[in-house]
Order: sequence, then C-alpha cells, then structure tokens
Amino acid sequence: MTKRLDFGAVDRRTIVKAGAVAGLSQIAAPFIWSARAADAIKVGMVDPFTGVYAAVAQNELIGVKYAVEQINAKGGVLGRPIELLVEDSANDVGIGVQKTRKLIERDGIQFLIGDVNSAIALAIAQVSNEKKVLHIVSGGHTDGITGKDCHWNVYRVCNTTKMEANSVAELLFNKYGKKWHFITPDYAFGHTLQEAAQADLTKFGGTVTGNELTPLGTTDFSAYLIKARAANPDVLLVLPQGLDMVNCLKQIAQFGIEKQIHVAGLQQELESLEAMPPEARVGIWMFEWYWKQPGVPGVEKFVADIRKRTGGKVPTARTWFGYTSMMSYALVANQAKTLDGVTLAKALGNFELPADVKLQPNKCYYRAGDHQLMTSSFVGEALTKPAGDPEDLFKVDTIVAGDKTSPPESETGCTLQWPA
Amino acid sequence: MTQLLLFNITNGLIIGAFYVLMAIGLSLILNLSNVINFAHGGFLVVGGYIAYTLEPYLGFWGALIASPFLTAIIGLAVEKVLISRVYGRDPLYSLLLTFGLAFILEDGTRVIWGANGKPFTIPAALAQPLSNEFFFITGYRLFMVVMVAVMIALLFILLRYTRAGIRIRAGTLDLETVSALGVNVRALRSLNFAVGIFLAGLSGVLAGGQLGLEPTMGAGLLMPSFIAIIVGGVGSLIGTLVGGLLIGVASGVTAVYFPAASEAIMYVLMAVVLLVRPRGLFGEEGMLT
Repeated sequence: MTKRLDFGAVDRRTIVKAGAVAGLSQIAAPFIWSARAADAIKVGMVDPFTGVYAAVAQNELIGVKYAVEQINAKGGVLGRPIELLVEDSANDVGIGVQKTRKLIERDGIQFLIGDVNSAIALAIAQVSNEKKVLHIVSGGHTDGITGKDCHWNVYRVCNTTKMEANSVAELLFNKYGKKWHFITPDYAFGHTLQEAAQADLTKFGGTVTGNELTPLGTTDFSAYLIKARAANPDVLLVLPQGLDMVNCLKQIAQFGIEKQIHVAGLQQELESLEAMPPEARVGIWMFEWYWKQPGVPGVEKFVADIRKRTGGKVPTARTWFGYTSMMSYALVANQAKTLDGVTLAKALGNFELPADVKLQPNKCYYRAGDHQLMTSSFVGEALTKPAGDPEDLFKVDTIVAGDKTSPPESETGCTLQWPA
Repeated sequence: MTQLLLFNITNGLIIGAFYVLMAIGLSLILNLSNVINFAHGGFLVVGGYIAYTLEPYLGFWGALIASPFLTAIIGLAVEKVLISRVYGRDPLYSLLLTFGLAFILEDGTRVIWGANGKPFTIPAALAQPLSNEFFFITGYRLFMVVMVAVMIALLFILLRYTRAGIRIRAGTLDLETVSALGVNVRALRSLNFAVGIFLAGLSGVLAGGQLGLEPTMGAGLLMPSFIAIIVGGVGSLIGTLVGGLLIGVASGVTAVYFPAASEAIMYVLMAVVLLVRPRGLFGEEGMLT
C-alpha cells in the first residue's frame, strides 16, 4: 500500500481533543513526597521547576526535602509526620495562584513555601493571606513582600534588595571609586536593587554615569556594554541574575572590559558562577549564604548531608533557603504546640534560629515588625580558579549581620494588619 | 554619538549574522516541507549541549565539527518518526507537533544535563577583542560571522550546483510535479530537514560559546528567526539573509536609545512589513499555502 503524500485539511475535532488534553493536564495530582499517613501534616511548596528559574527552584526543593527528613526523624511536628506536596508554578503568576489555591482548598496544607519568582510570591501571598495559612517566602527578593505589601501570615527568609545593596555599597565605593554605571534587569527586582544601590551611592557622594535597563532574557549585552565603556565609570555594576548574569559576564570577559573597568554587582549565586567559564568569574559580589564557612557550627554536617543527596554537589544559598523555611515552621509549631496559623505567625516574630538551622556566625532572627529574616550577607570576590574544591568559586571576605544591612522596621513601609 | 551609532550598527550586523544562521535552517524546512518548525530552538540547545559533552574529548574545534552532524542525525530520526506523518496537512498540525517537541527537547535536556547552566569554554585565542577601540569585535564573534558566511556559501553551492539542491529548489515551487517526475520526495524532505537541523545544531554550538548554555536558551533565539523569515519574505533564502541582518541592526541601534524596545522593534518591523508588503521584502506571493 502506498503512502499518500497528501494535501489534507485540519479536522475541528482534533483541535477540540487537543484542547481537552491541555486542560486536563492542569488539574493533575501534585507530586507527593514522603510517606502518606492518615495523621500527617500537609505542607505545600510552589516553585518554578520548569523555565528559567528551574535550577534554583530545584535546589530549594532539595533543602526542603532534607528538612522534612530531619523533622520526621525526630518525631515530626507535634508527634505527626510532615507530608510535602510540591507544585510547579512554571514561572507564571496565573498557574502559581491556581496551584496554591488547589493546595490549600483541595489538599489542605497547613503551611506554604514559595515562590522564587517575586511576582508569583506576591500573588500567592494574597491567596495564603485570604486563607489564613502561614507562608514563608523562601526565594523572592522584592522589597514589597516585607514592605508595603506585607501580610501578617507571610515571612521571608532571603534578603531584601535594600539589604543586598547596603551590604556591598560602602566597600565598592571605598575600594573602587565613585562613578558607577549600572546594568539593570528591567523588572521589579532589578529596579529596587538599582534604586537601593543608587541611594547608597548618593549618600556617600558618588555619581551614576548611566543605568542600562535590559529586558529579561537579553542574550546579547554588547550594545549596553558599548554604552557603558563610553561612559567611562569606575565601577560597572552587573545586576541581572541567572542566565542573564552568565551571558553578561561572559561577554564582559570576552570584550576585556574587566581590564579597564572594575566589575562588581550585588547579588550573586553559586548556580550562576558554576554556569560560567572561568574567565568570566570576576568581581566583587555578595552571596546570601555560602557553603564554605570553616569553624561555624552545623555547616560541615549540612554540606556533607546535602552532598550525599545530590551526588556530590554542595548546597547553595537556595538550598539553605528551603531548609530554613521548613525548619522554621517545625520549630515554631513544636514550640507553640499548635498548628493555628495566627498563633504561629505571632510566635515567629523575633524567633531566633538555632545554630544548626541558621548555619552562619551572626544572630539570625525574624523581625516582628516586618517579618523579614535578619540573615547575614556574605561579601567577597568571585574566583577564576577554584580554591581547592571545584565548587569553591567565591572567597568570602566579610559576613555582615542582617540587622546592620537592613533599614529599620519603620522605614520598610510595612504595616501589619492582624485578624481580629 | 556618531561613533556610538556606528559601533552599534556594526554590532547589530554581527548579531544579525547569527540570526541569519538560525533563520536559514528554519526557512529551508518551511519552504520545502511547509513545516513550521517550532522545535528549531530545541535542536539548537541539543547541538550546544552535545558540543559541551564532546569538548573534553575532541576539544572545541572537534566539538564544533562533530556536534552539528550528530544533531542532524537526531533531527533525521525525528523527521522520519514524527514529522513525516504530518506532511501535506494544514501547517497547524506541524506547528502543534513541533511545539510539543520543543518542550520535550527542553525538558529532555534538563533531565540529561541538569537544570543549571553549563560552562562552555571557547579557545582563549578567540576570546580576545581585536583591538582596544573595537573591543566589541572579539575574535570569536568575527569567527562566528565567518562561519555564517561559509555556511551560506556552502548552502548556495548545494542548492545551485548539486542535483539534490536543484530538486529542493524545484520542490519549493511545486512538490507535486517534482514527485510526479520520479524524484524520491520522501528522501528529499528528509535531507532538507537534516540540513536545516545541521544549521540549528551549528547555531547552538556558536551560541553556547557566547551565551550561557542552558535548557531554555533556544526559546529566546527562535522568535527573531521567525521574524527574519517573515520580514525577508517566506520562500526566499536571500530574503531571510537580509531580514536577519535587518532585525539585528534594528535591535542593536534601538538598544542605544530605547533599550526596553530593543526586542519589540523586531515585531514593529515585522508589522510594518506585513502591512506595506505582506509577501516580505524578497518573497513571492502565495508562498505559504
């Protein structure tokens, strides 16, 4: 039988069937992890496991899973094991909100962790607030989450953009110079980060030679680098994150810009450094947590345990965010001896993290006035040549405590409205 | 300011050259088989990752040569098993198929190589700017432009002077008649697809050297390729060449004055072309039927 070479037409039914399949995939069951028990406490996690933030989201998940293991091994929360339900927000606000509603309404979670994407974090915070579920934002950085958009049930582990800027600004000004040029990712995180850095610079008496707003997902930074070179600054601050950061630094290294202008930035992550060729790993940055902390209690064990679970890869700041978020809930629930959202939210205010959770030398606690974790900034330099371990790509110079980098509660714009 | 503008036009041409490489492969597949290959970006990523995997064994140059061929073989397999089933049907079928394929390729890459980016290194000799003044023209980007020019020349020779090439060009105009004349159209389409994917794989290796190698990098590079084809004219390879360079320059120049619009300008250009001359700059009427 000969195959027709055919020149047919579209069938309407085929399109309808395709649409139905696409719709069904939305309400499929969540990925459930850890043993199901009748009396388990359900905890939900919403993060972008597909898309540009997949790598950091997966690292957060590793931290959360490890925490759940540790908690259940010690008898769980109030004698009950934790059951973790994981959903993919796919970097889409609509999907994130939908999955959150499903986790709360259909699956009955008592605690929510998420999202890495700040816009999604803000959106799902509204859902968790409406449903009175305790919610820790593990990885979304926009200031509003513990600022003007704060909620009584929402806490945040990672730094605010103001904290990040404050941790590095003075060092850059004193060490490198007073004329700064910015490459800023054109979205909320980028804008607030740049404004915070600019405010610090103006305070010290420096000037901004330019601010290149680059669309998210920019692959070619050459036009912006041409402008930056022409402006002749002392420091070029590279603010984009993730793949954009990798592209930008790669191109900076290939253009030889770091030989004429000091390259620096604010937030940097191990995931990005590992994705770069060695010559691109230049500049002064801050990390939110780093795995190499000799002498600090608990860190070595954490690193060794995580390495066993990842096939040898060290924990990143993101792993620590996930771990801390989950541990915070277990600790405060066991201490307050209740699962009630309002009671736990009140109890987390001024809650200090023990050594084996905070994994850093300074005091680490959740501020009651804005629900922001006063976590330290690890300021240092990127290493072209790894220092011993192939994953040791950053040299930490100072660890600045959170309450030194954070503006006071009164200045964050947060007013918490507790339910009656 | 003039110097800034000139720099950016030159830079835009370099960027445009890269878009041309992607778009020509896409155009080849579209012209002959009427298949809108949304998975082209996915094959780009696969090409880049294969090169990254081969680099420790073959070095950069070995990986550069081997990877496009391996990607083309994968493309050939995909064509035989999946794409050949939707030939001759409404382009919507191929669009849906390749759209799904794009997700499979992206997630497959994520499963095999991990979600985090991979550091693909290029030879140090290339990673230097040519001069202090023209710092944005690195050896690597110049090499990229040369590669694009070589590929276009080779493609031209293939299409003009080889039997298969002539048949491809004839098939673009009237596949039914070519088939009626006794040419093995199935094999022709497979060859054509493989050549297109070869170019996608090569784009992936070149992109990996300049950008971060990451599962999602194909998506961002795919849209400019489509725009290049539409602006240049569907069915015309010369048009794709001009279209790619045009949007590269437009994007580069806009980035100087109005960075937020540097991506949007390509779509504006496309809209203008579609309104003023729907067939595209070099296209012929009625090509996409």
